[in-house]
This record gives sequence, C-alpha cells and structure tokens, in this order.
Amino acid sequence: MLVLDNVHAGYGRFEVLHGINLRVPAGRTVALLGANGAGKTTLLKAAAGLVPVTSGTIRLDGDPVERLAAQKRARRGLMLIPEGRAIFRDLTVRENLAMYAGNRNVGAAVDRAVAAFPILKDRLAQRAGSMSGGQQQMLAVTRALINDARVILADELSVGLAPVVVDEIFEAVDVLRREGRSLVIVEQYVDRVLAVADYVYVLHKGRVALVGEPEQCLRDSVFDQYIGAGAHS
Amino acid sequence: MRQYLPFVVIGLFTGAVYALAAAGLVLTYKTSGVFNFGHGAIGMFAAYVFYHLKTAWAWGTVPAIAVALFVFAPFMGVLLDRVLFRWLGSAGLATYVVASLGLLVFLQGLAVVWKGGNTYRINPFFPTNTFRVPGVSGVYVTVEQALVVGIAVAAGVALTAFFRFTSLGLRTRAVVNDRELTSLVGISPGLVTTLSWMLGCFFAALSAILFVPSLGLDSVLLTLLVLTALGAAAAGRLTSIPITMAAAFAIGVGQSLLVKAVGTRSGLSGLPTSLPFIVLFVILFFARRTTFALPSRAQERVAVVAARRGAAGVRRMPVAQLALLAGAALIVPAVVSGYRLGTATTAVAMVLVFSSLGLLLGLSRQVSLCHAMFVSFGATNLSLLLRSHVPYLPALLLAALLVVPLGVIVAIPSIRLSGLFLALATFGFGKLAQDVLYPTSLAFGARSLASVPRPAAFRGPVAFYYLVVAVAFAGVVVVELLKASRLGRTLRALADSPTAVESLGVNPVASRVIVFCVSAFLAGLAGGLMGTLVQSITPSSFDFFLSLLWVTVLVAAGASTLGGSVLAAGLLVVVPAVITSTKVTEWQPVAFGLAAMIFAQLPNGIMTLVRMPDWSAAWQRVSWKAHHQHRARERHAVGGVPAGAAR
Repeated sequence: MLVLDNVHAGYGRFEVLHGINLRVPAGRTVALLGANGAGKTTLLKAAAGLVPVTSGTIRLDGDPVERLAAQKRARRGLMLIPEGRAIFRDLTVRENLAMYAGNRNVGAAVDRAVAAFPILKDRLAQRAGSMSGGQQQMLAVTRALINDARVILADELSVGLAPVVVDEIFEAVDVLRREGRSLVIVEQYVDRVLAVADYVYVLHKGRVALVGEPEQCLRDSVFDQYIGAGAHS
Repeated sequence: MRQYLPFVVIGLFTGAVYALAAAGLVLTYKTSGVFNFGHGAIGMFAAYVFYHLKTAWAWGTVPAIAVALFVFAPFMGVLLDRVLFRWLGSAGLATYVVASLGLLVFLQGLAVVWKGGNTYRINPFFPTNTFRVPGVSGVYVTVEQALVVGIAVAAGVALTAFFRFTSLGLRTRAVVNDRELTSLVGISPGLVTTLSWMLGCFFAALSAILFVPSLGLDSVLLTLLVLTALGAAAAGRLTSIPITMAAAFAIGVGQSLLVKAVGTRSGLSGLPTSLPFIVLFVILFFARRTTFALPSRAQERVAVVAARRGAAGVRRMPVAQLALLAGAALIVPAVVSGYRLGTATTAVAMVLVFSSLGLLLGLSRQVSLCHAMFVSFGATNLSLLLRSHVPYLPALLLAALLVVPLGVIVAIPSIRLSGLFLALATFGFGKLAQDVLYPTSLAFGARSLASVPRPAAFRGPVAFYYLVVAVAFAGVVVVELLKASRLGRTLRALADSPTAVESLGVNPVASRVIVFCVSAFLAGLAGGLMGTLVQSITPSSFDFFLSLLWVTVLVAAGASTLGGSVLAAGLLVVVPAVITSTKVTEWQPVAFGLAAMIFAQLPNGIMTLVRMPDWSAAWQRVSWKAHHQHRARERHAVGGVPAGAAR
C-alpha cells in the first residue's frame, strides 16, 4: 500500500506538486488523470525517487520512504515504469531480463517473459533498442511481471503503440491486477484505464482536483471539465 | 625490413603502456560522463607514492607497488567520485573539463613540491635479460617487454570478459546505457560509477608504474601519458575499450617506427611524439557529428546546469569598472619603477590574455587548452615581421592576425563535434605545435630563440608600459563589447541550450569559431607585447603546460567578468613578485589546481563570492520605484514565473 501525504515536489525552484494526498490500497488500481502539465509524471517520479520531495511523506506499507534513493525504493517493492521505452537499449533482450531479475533466477525470468509475450522468445539475443516500439514496450512491462514489486507505477504505457499492441499491454496489466499488485496508471486512453481502475484521481496544476470511483467520476460534471467530455465517449 | 623489427618490439612495449592508460580513461568516461584530463596525473602520483615507499620508507618493490596499485589508486578513485564529482554536482561539460584540469595541475604541482622537479631513475622491476623471438631471427625481446605486453593484453581480455560475462559488468553497461533506469531496477548507479573510477585509477597507476623504469620518474612526462592515450581513446570513439587498446598498440608501434624512419633529421624529431595527436586530428576531422555521442549522464547534467546558471555573464558594458581599471593602470608608473614596473607590464598583458581566455571559458563555455601557443606565436610572428623591417605597430597587429589561421585549424574540426573535443583538440595541438611547429623557421627556428627588439619610440620602460596599457585596454574593451553584443548573447544562449539556438536558425559552429578566432587574435596580441617586454623568447617561455595553468587560474578567479581576469593576472603575476619566496611559485600550481576544482562549478569563480558594485542594481536599490518597475517588467516578460528560474 502506497500513501502520499501532503507531498510537495518539483525541479529546483519550480514546485510542480503543491501538496498531494493519494492512497493506493493493497491490490487496488488507481487511475491518475489530468491535462498535460498537471503533474502526473512528476507525481510518479517523486514517488519513485527520481524527483526530490521537498515536504510531505510517502509511505510504502507504513514505512516512510521519501528520503530513500530511487534504487532503495525499488528494492522495497516500489516500481516505476517511466514514460517512453523503459529498457536498456544497448543491451540484449536477455541482458535486459537479467537486469530486471536482479538476484533472482534469470532462467525463470526469461520463461515468465516468454510466457507473457511469446514474440520475445525469438528476440532474446537481439539488441533491445533494435526491436519494434511495441516489442520494446512489452519488454518494459515484463519488468513488472518478473519482479515481485508490490506497487507498480506505470506512466503512459500505450503511448505511440498500435491498438493491437495496446491490447496486449493491457492484458499484462490485468495479470498484474489479478496477482494482487497495487497499480497507479497514467494513461491517455481514459476509457481503458477507467475500465480497470478501482479509484480515480484527477490532477490539476499540481493539486488533486477530484477523487472517486470510476462510475462516480463519470457522472460528475467536474470530471468532464478536467478530462474533456469527448475523452471517454 | 628486418632492421625495423626491433622497433616493432619497442613499439609494442610502449603501446602496451598506452593501452592500459587509454583503457582506464575510456572506462571512466563511459560510466561517469567525465573526461578525466587528470588521468595521467593520477597514474603519475601513484608512481610517486611507489617511489616514496621504496626509497624513503625502504619498502620492498613488491609491497610498494602493491600499495600504490591496490590501495592508493582505488582510494583516489573513491575520492574523485565521492568528493570531487559529488561536490561539483550536476555541472556542465566545461565544468568537468576544468575540474579535471585542476586535478592535473594540482597533482603535478604537488609532486614537484613533494619530490622536486627532477627526474629519478628507477631500476627495472622485471629481469632485463633478452631472449630470441622463436621463428624470427635477429630479434631480441627483454623479459620486461614481453611481460608488459602480456599484462596489457591480459588486462584487455579480462576487461572485455568482465563486461560480457559478469553481473557487475552487465550492471556497468546498464549504467552507461541508462542511469535512471538502472536505479529504477534497484541498482545503485553511484556504486557502479565509484567502482569504475576505482578501476580506472588502477589502470592509470598500472600504466604509469610499468612505464617508470624506461621513462624515469618525471612528473610532467607521466602526467602527459593522458595526452598519448587521447589518440587511442578517440579511435575507440571514447566507448570501445578493445578498439581503444588496439589503437594504442598501433600508435606505440607507429611511434617507434617513426623514430627509426625520422632518424637524426633534427627538424622532424618531434614527429614521433606527436603521432597520437595526428591520429586524434585525423579522427576528429573525418568524424561525423553522431560518431561521438555524449554519455547519458553528461547530457542530463548539461540540461540541469543550464537551468541553474543564471548569473553567468555580464550583460552590459562594465563602463565604471573599465574606467576605474584604466585610471589605476595609468598611475602605476608614478608608484613603481624598475623591475616592479616590468612586473606591472606583464600583469597588464596577462589581463589581456585572461580576458581573451574568459571570452571562451566564461562566455561560451568553450575550453581552450592551447592559449600559450597563441601567445607564443604572437611573439614569434612579431619577431619574423620585425626582421622583415615591418614597422612595429602594424607588425604587432599583423602578428596577432597571423595567429588566427592556427585557431581556425584547431577549432573547426573539433567545435562542430562538441565542447569536449575542442578541449581535447586544443590540448593535443598545444603539444603538437611545441614539438613539431616550434623548431621550424615559422616559429623559433633551429636556434630555438626569437628576438623581439623594442621599437625606438617605446624603448623606455614607462613608454613601453603605456603602450601595453593602451593595447591591452583596447583589447579588453573589444572583449566587453563582444560580450554585450548580439554575438555575445548568441554565445551565452549556446552555452545554455544549443538546440534552442539552432532552432532559431543560428549556426552554432560559426559563432563559436568566430569567438575562438577573436580570442586567438587577442592572445597573439598579448604575446607580441610580452615578447617585446623581455625582448627574446624561447619555446619554453610559453610552454604548453602554461595553457593548463592559465585555465585553472582563470576558472578559480572568475572567467566571465573583467574582474576575474584582473584577479587572475594579480594572483599569477603580482603575488609572486610581492612575496618573493620560492615557496610561493612552488605552491602556486597546487593552490590554483585546488581552487579550480573547488570553484569550477561557480559561473564566475571567486568573483562570484566577491560582489562587484553593480551600478544599475545599486540604483534600483536606492530608487524604490525603479526597482519595482524592473521587477514588474521581469515578471511580465516570463509570464508570472519567478525571474531567476526562467533564465
């Protein structure tokens, strides 16, 4: 379970997040929505330790983690899949999987990856950066599958992908949900993410503008104002 | 053919040493994004540690080498990564170049303070008896040569295997590829970087210590091992360790064969030592812009620092300061005379040198490491022109103008690549010029001497002093005008975000080359003046090492304002003239090197801390209305964002 309590964060003198409160209960999925520049990516980065938190607390299963380095948070089971293709481009697919597996068994990691995305089987010795965008994103998502991170923060997984590939990625997301992981998903396809989310947070200019369950939100006119009426038609 | 074979053997030996040095250099650059100009100096200092343990503490050779290699060198690596680079934080490329130069000057100076400037002989560690190479008649190899080549090859194989097959090697490659993602995977990129610095310093120490028995323990020569490694590192595109090591072997063999081919022809004697730089230049010349990608960390850091460096650079002409300076300079002859006036004259000329260097370092964040060469050519050109009976003042101008083509030759191939390569190219070119160009009739000629007679009108020390003041003042005004001009704004913008400037349709290469040429011209002018002051100069008057010292002094004093140039000239020239102790000149490089490391991240060195009276700001403080109008304008201009953050 991940809890952000009055978190302020930003880049140098620019404060982007002005006191964020957010709760991700164990095994639940949170959809994080908002316009460009609302602070969604910064929120995920601050939670993962890539953007320093200036005040407020971040608790992972009750322990404060906001002063820990990114790698320490990762080792405690908090995983960020950043925007773009979050893979080591110059390493082979197998080497990527070995990096994701850490101290765990690499063979098992490879098996798990191939089970989820069979196409990766033929690509194991290939340089990861030379694969197609969809395959790269599959590899990036595989990181969550082979790792037992309890909280997964996923930033724009579907960006720039063909609809068929997006389906595959969301299947993987569904697997993670069924495994009982907590998820925070930033997503441009509002409908798709609302279909899997238990809670919705709408950010506006670095503040939480709206919190609720998906059905509740869809009925709320404020939600339409922030997300745009056409976005989930 | 056969007579060349022994030279191949010698070449393989030196190539092995270069290979070890270059491997360490590339390793640390890859993982940290810091090109360590002090790499050779670290190796040099490790060799001095070894020497100290062996002679002063009477240790055996093996434990002394072991401590230098396995304790001192890794410790230096930790110190650099955890103290120096942590202190520098998210700085830009130029900051790292300058800080590592500071390290070079600091360690070299410290070695001289510690053990004196002499070269010490060291007995070979390995047996020197020779054996025949099987199958090749008439070629003998010493056990030492065979062992050193063996060590280098083994180290190359071991490094390659380390990266390919071990999990730490995989993690290192992951850090090189994407630092941030590595931390997200749960691995500390900092730890991996520290380890690679330890390993890199170990290689620096290993190469230096293996070289010491044949080269002698010499602080300058060992420090310059980094120069020789440059060519090989460039061949490996600063990323591939196997190619770098292979190129290092090729350079070693090539050098040795050149020694044989050149023989005793005196004019060409500098050619073999210059081979690495010739290789570097050929590679830079033919490289495409994409060949040398910056490591991810370097790019990140440049972006961050761009946001932070708000205060760098003066935006208006510092009229009050210029007037104050001119006034002070004019009354000097009333206060001092004799040799002190000579010191004052040198100091004024050095203000011009530093001002021209500041144009590069402070304004456009370009690092020139061959300014002493420009100064030197300014003097030799003047000498040649005066010998052809050109009148003094036109000759002085023409001499400085003739320095510009040299600047163009160095600048164009490297500037189009990146700021790092300008530093590398000028570093190499300074040495190349000293070894190859200085002995020719274009510079000092075979006599290694250039005489610059003073014109009759300025024969008196006071008259000449005023001439120097007039020329230097004109030069400084040009620099300040340039800073306040459109070109100055472009260069400041380029230092922050080249992409943004290019998108405005400005050619970044042209702007940078122009400012580099202006800088070379002014340095040449100062060189002519300083040559005329002492009336005869030698190749060592403006040794290329001086270029490095000047950069560290200026960075420490403050590279982006006039005050910094004046302070630099004062620290370098006036202080040792006032406190006439040999201790001062001895400790100067140590202090400047240290100061450069400490102040490298400040946009204007020490002068950032010393606030010069800013007349317009003072006016704003006095006038409440002006202050608020100014603030309102600033807020309006950037749409409500606090003014400081937007720059």
